[in-house]
Amino acid sequence: MKRRDFVKGIAAAGLALRFGPRAFAGQAASLGPLPALAAVEGESPAAITKEAIAVLGGMGKFVGKGDRVVIKPNIGWDRTPEMAACTNPEVVRTLVELVLDAGAKKAIVIDNTTNQAKRCYVRSGIQEAVKQAGGDMLFVDDYRVKKMPLKGEWLKDWEVLLDVVEADKLINVPIAKHHSLCRLTLGGKNWLGATAGARNQFHQSLDKTITDLSAFFKPQLTVLDAYRILVRNGPQGGRVSDTELRKTLIAGTDPVAVDAYGASLFGVEPRELPYLGLSRDRGLGEFDLGKVRIEKRKI
Amino acid sequence: MKKGRSKKYRAIERLRILSQAVFFGLFLYLFFGAHYTGEDYIGSTVQRFFHFDPLLALVTIVSSRLVYAYFAFALVTVVATILLGRVFCGWVCPLGAVHQFSSFAFKKTKFLRPPREDKASLAPKYYILILVLVGAIFGLDLAGYLDPLSFLTRSLALAVLPSVAMAVSGLNGILYSIGAAGLARTLSQALQNWTINVTFIQGFSVGLLFLGAIALNARKERFWCRYLCPTGALLGLLSRWNLIKVRIDDEKCIKCGLCTQHCETQAHPYPNDGWKSGECIYCQNCASICPTAAIDMRFSARPEKLTNVSDVNLSRRKLIVTTLAGIVAIPFFKLTPARKRASLKLIRPPGALAEDKFLAKCVKCGQCMRACPTGGLQPVLTEAGPEGFYTPMLVPKIGYCEYYCSLCTQVCPTGAIRKLTIEAKNKLKIGTAWVNKSRCIPYVLGKPCIVCEEHCPVSPKAIKFIEYEATLPDGTTAVQKAPVIDQELCTGCGICENKCPVMDDPAIFVTSVGETRSATNRLLLDISSGAPEDPYK
Repeated sequence: MKRRDFVKGIAAAGLALRFGPRAFAGQAASLGPLPALAAVEGESPAAITKEAIAVLGGMGKFVGKGDRVVIKPNIGWDRTPEMAACTNPEVVRTLVELVLDAGAKKAIVIDNTTNQAKRCYVRSGIQEAVKQAGGDMLFVDDYRVKKMPLKGEWLKDWEVLLDVVEADKLINVPIAKHHSLCRLTLGGKNWLGATAGARNQFHQSLDKTITDLSAFFKPQLTVLDAYRILVRNGPQGGRVSDTELRKTLIAGTDPVAVDAYGASLFGVEPRELPYLGLSRDRGLGEFDLGKVRIEKRKI
Repeated sequence: MKKGRSKKYRAIERLRILSQAVFFGLFLYLFFGAHYTGEDYIGSTVQRFFHFDPLLALVTIVSSRLVYAYFAFALVTVVATILLGRVFCGWVCPLGAVHQFSSFAFKKTKFLRPPREDKASLAPKYYILILVLVGAIFGLDLAGYLDPLSFLTRSLALAVLPSVAMAVSGLNGILYSIGAAGLARTLSQALQNWTINVTFIQGFSVGLLFLGAIALNARKERFWCRYLCPTGALLGLLSRWNLIKVRIDDEKCIKCGLCTQHCETQAHPYPNDGWKSGECIYCQNCASICPTAAIDMRFSARPEKLTNVSDVNLSRRKLIVTTLAGIVAIPFFKLTPARKRASLKLIRPPGALAEDKFLAKCVKCGQCMRACPTGGLQPVLTEAGPEGFYTPMLVPKIGYCEYYCSLCTQVCPTGAIRKLTIEAKNKLKIGTAWVNKSRCIPYVLGKPCIVCEEHCPVSPKAIKFIEYEATLPDGTTAVQKAPVIDQELCTGCGICENKCPVMDDPAIFVTSVGETRSATNRLLLDISSGAPEDPYK
C-alpha cells in the first residue's frame, strides 16, 4: 500500500466515523435551515463549485444587485494548474460567472503574488478564465495599498489592499496546500495575499498573523478548492507528483469550519492547527466539525 | 541663371525622414517586445537590428573567436554600403535618427547656429574604430560602448524607459489624489503589463551619457555620427567604391555655400573634388536646400581617390601610433584579479558563456536587463574587471531569477547568453546559496521564519530545514526550524536572498561558486554529478 493511499484511507475512515451520522442529519435537515458548509465531490471543478454554492442557497444569498464583489483566489506562484500551487482557474471562472449572474456590478479578482505578478496571473490560467467570464483582473497598485489599523492581537496595523477592503462583498477562494511552517495553507492563510508591505515578517508568528488577518477580512463566503491538493513541498510544490487529485470543493459561510474540513483532507486534526484554535477563540467560527451543519454531496 | 529648389530632392529628403521614422518605430516596437508578454518564448526582438551591424559582427567574432550565424545578416549592410554608401547611417540607424531629430530641434530653437564652414577634424571616430578593432584582436569587446544600436538600447532600457515609467507612476499618484481613479488605474495596470523595471544600479550613468550624447548635437549637428561613431567609421571605410556620387553642376552653382553649411556630417559637397564619400550619409539636405537645384546624386562606377573617401588627415604615421597605443593600452583592461579568482557577486544570467567568452561576446546592450521580469539583472560596475563594465549580473537583493523564465537567453543579440529552453535553463546552476547563521532569525533569535524554504522553487526543495536549538542572550534556549541548503539541488536563482526578511544584508545569499558555466569556479569536483534522486517517483 502506498503512503498516499494509506493517508487517503485514514482520512476517509476518519471522515466516515466523525461526520457520517451528521451528514445524514444534514441531508435530512436540508429542507430546514441551510447548511453552513457544503462539501461536493465530482469530476468537473466548475460543476462542483456550482453545486456547492447551490447547496448553500445560491449566489443570490451572498451577492446583491450592483455589488462590487472581490474574489480573492490564491495566485501566489508562477505555477500552472496541475502543480496545485494556485487556485483552480475553473473554480475562479465559475465564481465570477455566478457572481455576475447574481447581479453584481463587478467581479474583481486580485492577489498580491509572491512571484512576478504577471507571470502568476497568466500561468495560473486565472487571468484568462476571469477575462472570459467577464470579470476584472487587477494587479496590485502601489497607490491602492494603505496602512490600516487591523486591531489584531499581534498585528496592530498593516498595509492592506484597498481594492479588497473596499469591496461590498468578499469571497475567499483558497486552495488547500501543504505548508512547511504552518503545516497547511487554507482560507485563513490566503489573506496574506490581500496585504502588502514586509510580508516576509509574518512568518515570525504565522498563526497569530492568520488569526488577525482572518478577523480583519471577513468574507461573506469561503470556497476552498481541493480539486487537486498539494501534499508536499508546499506551498508551491513544483511537480505533479507533489499533488493529489481529491476532486472536492468545500464552500461555507463559516471560514474556520471550511478550513477545518480542508484539514481533514490531509488527515490533519483541526486542533493540530494552532490558527484554527486561535480563530475560534476570537469568535470567527467553529473548528469542531461535529458542531457544524454540513452537507456533503457527490455528483 | 536662377532656378528654384529641386522638388525631386525635397521629395527624396522627405522619404529619408520617413525611412528614419519607420526604422526608429520598428526599433522601438521590437525593443518594447522584449519583456514577459504572457508567452514563454517571445520570438524576435530588437536583437535583429544588431545582426545587421557589421561592427558588432566583426568585433564579436574576432574577440571571441566564435562565429555566430545570425551575423550573416551584417553582410547585407556591408554590400549595401559598398554599393550605395553610408545609407545605413542616414536612412536606417535609429540612434542616427535620434541625433538628427535633436539636431533639427536644436537648430529650430537656435541652440545651434551652423557655422559657415566646419573645419574640425573628423578623425576621432576612425581612431576609436582602430582601438576597438585592436581590442578585438586581443579578445576585448569594446564595440558595445559606442556602437549606436548597443548605446541606444542600453540607454532606453536602463535609463529612458525606467524614467518614463517612474514619471507615469508619479502622475498616477496625482491622478488618484484628484479623483481621476479610472485613468490612474488604467495606467498602473498597463505599467504592470509592460513589466518595466525601474531600478538600475547604473541607470544614472547610462542616462547621463545618453543626455550628454544628445546635448552634443547643440554644438554640431549629428556630433556623435561625425566624430565618435565607430560603426559609422567602419561603414565610411567601405564607401570608397559606392555608386552614388554627389555632384554639383558648376553652371547652376552660385557658390552660396549653403550645401556645405547644412551638411549633417561635414561631407563637404562643395566644391566637387572636396566631397567625401566616406562621410556622406545621403540625407539629401544639400540637394534639397540648394537654391538653384545644382546638386545631383548620380550613379557613377568610378572609385573615389582614397584621400577623398574621408579626407580626415588619417596619416599613416598617426594610424600606426594609434594602433601601437591600442596594443599597449588594451592589456590594461586585463590587469584585474577577476581573472585569477571568480568574483563572488558576479552571478551571470543563465546560459551565459564561460567568463572569457562571455566578456568577448557581450556588447552591453542591456536587452537581458530589460527582459528580466524581476529586474534582477543589473549592469556591472566593478565586479567583472574594467572590460566587464555594463555587462549583466544578477543582484538577488533587487530581483531573483524566475524559475520558469528564460527571456534573457532569448533576447541576447550576440549569443553571449546562449538561447535556452526553460527546461534546459532549470538544469543549470548560476550560483549557490549560503546561510549566514550569525544573522539568520531562527539561528540567532530563536524565532520561526524559513521564508527562504517556502520560496525555494525547485522540487524537492534545495532548502531544507533542521530543528535548531538557539541559545539566546539570557541563556535560555529555543528550538526552531532553521534552513540548511542542499548544494546539489540549488540552482542559485536567488529568490531566497530576495525574500529574506533580514533587509540590509540577507541572512541567506547567493554567490557565483558552483556555476555550471565555469570549470574553475567550483565547489566540489563531483557536484551535479547526476540528476538528483527523486524520492517520490
